[in-house]
Amino acid sequence: MLILIWIFILGNMETAKKQLPPFRKLTGLDALPEMVGRAAEMNRPVHFTTGLGDLTGSVAPQLVAGLAVLAHVSEICANYGVKIIYSVYQAQVMPIATELMKEAYVKAGKSEEFQAEDQVRYLSGEQFAYASAVQGIAERERPAANIMIGPFYAESMLFAETFNRIGSIQLAGTARGYQIPFFAVICDYLLIGEEIYAAGAYLSKDPQQAGTIRGQDYGKAVVLILIILGVLATAAGSSIIVDLLGM
Amino acid sequence: MSTTLKKTIPVAIVFVVAMLVMLDYFIVTPPVDVAGKSWTSGAVKDLQNWGIVLTAFALGFGAVNLFYFHSKHISRRTPDQWMFSIWLLIVIVIFTAIGVFTGPTSDQYNWLYNASYFALSATVYSSLGFYMTSGLYRALRFKNVESGIFLVVGLVVLARNAPALAVYFPVLGTWGSFISGVLTTSAQRGIMIGGALGAISLGIRTMTGRETGFLGKMTEEERGGGGTA
Repeated sequence: MLILIWIFILGNMETAKKQLPPFRKLTGLDALPEMVGRAAEMNRPVHFTTGLGDLTGSVAPQLVAGLAVLAHVSEICANYGVKIIYSVYQAQVMPIATELMKEAYVKAGKSEEFQAEDQVRYLSGEQFAYASAVQGIAERERPAANIMIGPFYAESMLFAETFNRIGSIQLAGTARGYQIPFFAVICDYLLIGEEIYAAGAYLSKDPQQAGTIRGQDYGKAVVLILIILGVLATAAGSSIIVDLLGM
Repeated sequence: MSTTLKKTIPVAIVFVVAMLVMLDYFIVTPPVDVAGKSWTSGAVKDLQNWGIVLTAFALGFGAVNLFYFHSKHISRRTPDQWMFSIWLLIVIVIFTAIGVFTGPTSDQYNWLYNASYFALSATVYSSLGFYMTSGLYRALRFKNVESGIFLVVGLVVLARNAPALAVYFPVLGTWGSFISGVLTTSAQRGIMIGGALGAISLGIRTMTGRETGFLGKMTEEERGGGGTA
């Protein structure tokens, strides 16, 4: 199954070189310039965090997806002259985030405006100490926009509610199913599950990256067919699909 | 910075490391040792140890960042901030001193941790109840058809979990179980399957050097060219 999905993705990467596959609109990502623009008008910063992710665990892909969006948002912020604050939970992410943001400012021709020690803030490696520190930033610096993309746990509600109370426009995205409803009821824009993984490809508009998304959709179609066949086979008293998948 | 240093070398490292970890997970690659483990097990173990060492270094970097950031606020007497900054630095020094002199598993260190952070952590976690109530109050409002469905479903689940109502209206139990056991679970599984496929796709993009978000934004030329967009 995994090999089949690999074939779909790699095959679509090649075919997409010829033509950019069509994308479904992701309103949350399209709204990024509007969010930063609002911060520029209000003369307030933009806050970004990637949640409790680390680079070695099972949630690492969510963190990497968040970093791709961070690079993009940093560039928009640099262009608009808006300060972006990145709250860090895992110290190992700091050097990567610092480099990403510095590069975004260099690309915008404003390298002198980037202050790593003020904009990339290591808060704590403990969940609720980190959560309290982010709430403190929200209360003291009142960011006009808050972007949260990555793996979030119990702190999701604390963040979303606090930033909502201070009037921030919010974009949230996570692949952790239990936290999606919390973000859905409070945040202005939401990226659900796999949408955060597609963010990098969506923002880059790179045909080959877009091809992998199409390959992923083919994989999803195969899974869907297997689910339907499994339901029908099980209802008919056969365990052929269950045995095939080794479940 | 040249493309080789900026992209080729990091992507090559990512590719080799990812292939090693995947090989170790899925295949027992010969030669196999007496314990039945393939040669990749040792390599992966070493890589994990390197990761631990790098994380420890990064923690030092984080501590320097904390000291620098808060010292600046103290020296500038930043309103609403500098007093908290002093308190933070004092706490860091106390924890570090006790950790270094008595050890991080000593009774003194454990007492300090449990009496301060543990209690505060539980307090912040408990406050979640208030945040959830205020979020729920805003969410359960009839604005359109979608919010109407959300309102009805939310009220059914809420009523089902209220013991008195569940006793007088047992049907709430059936409805609630259907909502959480069938509707919610199927939606959660859909998200989970999509998320897993998305993670695989992101992994392939990262390994093949197409997803370079973690290396910073790249031009089409730096990314490898060949695009039409």
